[in-house]
Amino acid sequence: MLRVTNLKKIFSSGDTKVVATNDISLTIEEGQFISIVGQSGSGKSTLLSMLGALEKPTEGKIEIDGQDITKLRSHALTRHRSKKIGFIFQGFNLIPNLTALENVMLPMEPTDRPKKMRMQQARELLDQVGITGAKQRRKPGKLSGGEQQRVAIARALANRPKLILADEPTGNLDSKTSKMIFELLRGLSQSQGVTIIIVTHDLALARQTERVFRLQDGKLTEQ
Amino acid sequence: MNVVTRGIRNAFRNATRTISIVLILGLTIGLSLVMLIANQAVDSKIKQTMGSIGNTVNIRPVGFSGSNSVNNALTTEQLAKVQKLAHIKSLSQLLGSNAQTEGTSSSPQGGAQASGPAANNTAKTSLVSPFKLNCDKGKCSGGGIRLNTTGEAPKLPDNFSLPINFMGTNQPTNPSNFEASAFKIVNGKAIDGSKDINDAMISAEMAKKNRLGVGSTFTAFDQTLRVAAIFESNTQTANSSVVLSLPALQRLTEQPGVITNAIATVDSLDNLESATSAIKDSLGSAADVTSSLDQAKQAIEPLKSVRNISLYSLLGAVVAGGVIILLTMIMIVRERKREIGILKAIGFGNTRIIFQFMCEALTLTTLGAIIGLGIGIAAGNPVTSMLVSNGSAGGQGAPAGFAQSISGPAADALESIKATVGWEIILYGFGAALLIALIGSSLAASLIAKVRPSEVLRSE
Repeated sequence: MLRVTNLKKIFSSGDTKVVATNDISLTIEEGQFISIVGQSGSGKSTLLSMLGALEKPTEGKIEIDGQDITKLRSHALTRHRSKKIGFIFQGFNLIPNLTALENVMLPMEPTDRPKKMRMQQARELLDQVGITGAKQRRKPGKLSGGEQQRVAIARALANRPKLILADEPTGNLDSKTSKMIFELLRGLSQSQGVTIIIVTHDLALARQTERVFRLQDGKLTEQ
Repeated sequence: MNVVTRGIRNAFRNATRTISIVLILGLTIGLSLVMLIANQAVDSKIKQTMGSIGNTVNIRPVGFSGSNSVNNALTTEQLAKVQKLAHIKSLSQLLGSNAQTEGTSSSPQGGAQASGPAANNTAKTSLVSPFKLNCDKGKCSGGGIRLNTTGEAPKLPDNFSLPINFMGTNQPTNPSNFEASAFKIVNGKAIDGSKDINDAMISAEMAKKNRLGVGSTFTAFDQTLRVAAIFESNTQTANSSVVLSLPALQRLTEQPGVITNAIATVDSLDNLESATSAIKDSLGSAADVTSSLDQAKQAIEPLKSVRNISLYSLLGAVVAGGVIILLTMIMIVRERKREIGILKAIGFGNTRIIFQFMCEALTLTTLGAIIGLGIGIAAGNPVTSMLVSNGSAGGQGAPAGFAQSISGPAADALESIKATVGWEIILYGFGAALLIALIGSSLAASLIAKVRPSEVLRSE
């Protein structure tokens, strides 16, 4: 499903060059639930950005379903992100003046599905992650951190992506809620066959995923 | 919810900011509309003034004021040369003479002196003037006659009656003969200005006063004249005159070949100055040649400065509005950089996001335009009047505290300016709002395009 070959990202700042990821290669099968651990500044977010087609690598290939996304133009990359990738962020990043339902409907907008269908699908997704009834019409500010992250997960699933990239999804949550969110993600991976890559500091949580990778000094190694 | 709805809703995310921006934009758009209204009113007045000032040149024998006798009358030969000059469209040749109603007098007692086209006469007529002499502060006028006194109101004889002006002309239906802008035959057939017959044209008011119709007769200069046509005009001078053919009046007044004045019509206002100079060169010191060009210039000059002031203020207000919304949108985009990054990450392209922000800017400017329209409608007329009065008082080169005096058509032009608010202005208002929104969104759009979603992830 996902094949990364000799991936390298170098940031230049004046005369200084920083190697964020160095010669990373990995293959992930469809429906796998994996985690990447590493210290701050180890290049986790850079790797996630490249896998999510948000940033282009300096060298190397990223193939999703056989298509090398490093060769796609900006417009095609946007379409690729919309159809095949879902993002979950540490800070939830919901749009504050939209309701939970509208936030989930948001990624469906570029797909030109009729509004009625978008609303129905968004309701189903929110039900699936445990946001039901009146809570669906609440704005993010009126929801707890765990509920907001559930809405963010529903939003990530909106276009039925093949790959979900989660950057510290439990970083802002208490341990009980973190566990619930983690279980939710694992359940989705198993029930829907979605490939999920989690970046986390929490080794205990990481150990519960199928595969654990460690990123250190730009190098990725499987544990 | 689609992009447009979201853009409109986003405009109200921060109520305090929205109210402040809308009010400032409202004032700016209002100012631009007020200036537009003033500009249009003044521009329209300039065109109207230019159109109303006749493109005619008046030619009189030197020293002839219309009240004295003609010793140095113009000749047909002299005027034939004028007719051949470039840009002269037509030349109306006139002989003015007057006659007193039988059994009446027009000579005031005391030191008053009458002047005008029909003053001083010995000839008699059966016609009675339809007008009366109106006096105010020692000055009396009526029926084209003016009485100048030394301060006291003139004492009029018991049998006073205004004299009747007889005008002989080769162009009997030319309104310029009477300084009129309208002249229309309403009954009968216009006389031929070249035929020496005792046919006359009288005004509807004269006909009514004397109970005359087409075919009726009256007497003047000891002859019987027939009413061939009845006309209507918009000046008292015309309505108190009897129009005859030029040769007929020359015969009746025993002044063969005499022309007391001529009016040359120039093909366009643009050629008025050059045509006036050419006539002066042609006639030399034999004639006084005057045109309406100086008055036109005097009328238009202050209006032109008001038009320029309003135009620059209009542009300034639109630019100010653009800058306000530009800075606002930059502030909003910077504030929502993370949100833009998220939208890009979940599959929104630059175009869709920019369109959403444009809708937001357009919502703010449209609300501003609605307030601005209210300001424009309320303040359009007073501001226009203020600009015009300031523009005319502070004339170019006039020392501080000294108002430049403007009179005649110029004063009329300045006094009668009235600004109107029509659909055109409303459309301009919303057009300005659209323009301001586009200007304001332009830089915001480039900032949006530069937002990299990966930075959003990195800043977590």
